[in-house]
Amino acid sequence: MTATETVHDRIETARDDHTTAQLALVFALVATVAFTLLFVQEPLVHDSLHNFRHAVGVTCH
Amino acid sequence: MLVDYLKRGVLAGALAGIAYGLYVTLVANPLVGYMEALAEGGGAESSHEHAHAGEHAHTAGEHAHAAGEHAHAVGETTTAVVSIGSGVFWGILLGAAFALAFYFLEPALPGRGSIKGYVLAGAGFLAVSGAPWLVLPPATPGAEQAYTPTIRIAVYGGLVLAGAIIAATAIYGYRRGSTRSRPLGLCLAALPIVALAAVTTLAAPTIVESGTIPGELVTAFRGLTALSQAALWALVAGCFGWLQTRTRDRASTEQRVALTSLHS
Repeated sequence: MTATETVHDRIETARDDHTTAQLALVFALVATVAFTLLFVQEPLVHDSLHNFRHAVGVTCH
Repeated sequence: MLVDYLKRGVLAGALAGIAYGLYVTLVANPLVGYMEALAEGGGAESSHEHAHAGEHAHTAGEHAHAAGEHAHAVGETTTAVVSIGSGVFWGILLGAAFALAFYFLEPALPGRGSIKGYVLAGAGFLAVSGAPWLVLPPATPGAEQAYTPTIRIAVYGGLVLAGAIIAATAIYGYRRGSTRSRPLGLCLAALPIVALAAVTTLAAPTIVESGTIPGELVTAFRGLTALSQAALWALVAGCFGWLQTRTRDRASTEQRVALTSLHS
């Protein structure tokens, strides 16, 4: 890790170390968890997350 | 290297998430339950009316509030347990997202050492919570809000994006300004955030009616929500920084050991 490293270098390193599929997988997983946690409106899931959404401040009712 | 960051992020997120889960258990769950009872006890009839009149009428089961009395689709215990669990997941999610962003943005963040992590955590808080709350403040149980949930989700998403752009502008401003002097950098960093806050005050309030809950309790609830989220981000950054220095120290110790054994 050098002091003159740039954001571009980091992207290059990630590209060299991992395949596009691996990177896509990582981002997809994070996105899925976020979506499920915050926006799933299925009644059972939605209602059981009720207190949590109020506590986090993303509630929708 | 990306995987190392991600591992550290998930671990830091899990640690922060356990703390947040404790907060949900000890504070949020009882508080929301109490406020729910307060809101329903005082305004059962009016909430019955508004639930049918407006936003909640689109799916019958979506919100059991439509039925008026306390009739959630799931029991209170389930709600409590799932809420605690999702508190832990929330920490893990933030930790993972933080680590991914940190890996790519670390060279561009101002400060040195663990300060970079806290800067990114501040930006994350601003984007994920701070900016959306300026228009859609944390809703208390029983509050009546303008717009339908679909519109609100879109607004929330848009504000997350706006918050991220504002945070990036602030960091860019600091980097440009601080080459001359640190106070100038801080002023330039504060500028976009103040501008965002000023612009959002022009928007119409989205909480139309906070129901029967006293105003002081609403304020306290919002303060608690904001502080707990800020604490969660700080904890993620703190744990991440701690894990990073620990790995670095361990690596350098191993190096030293290897070198000394080579010499002898």
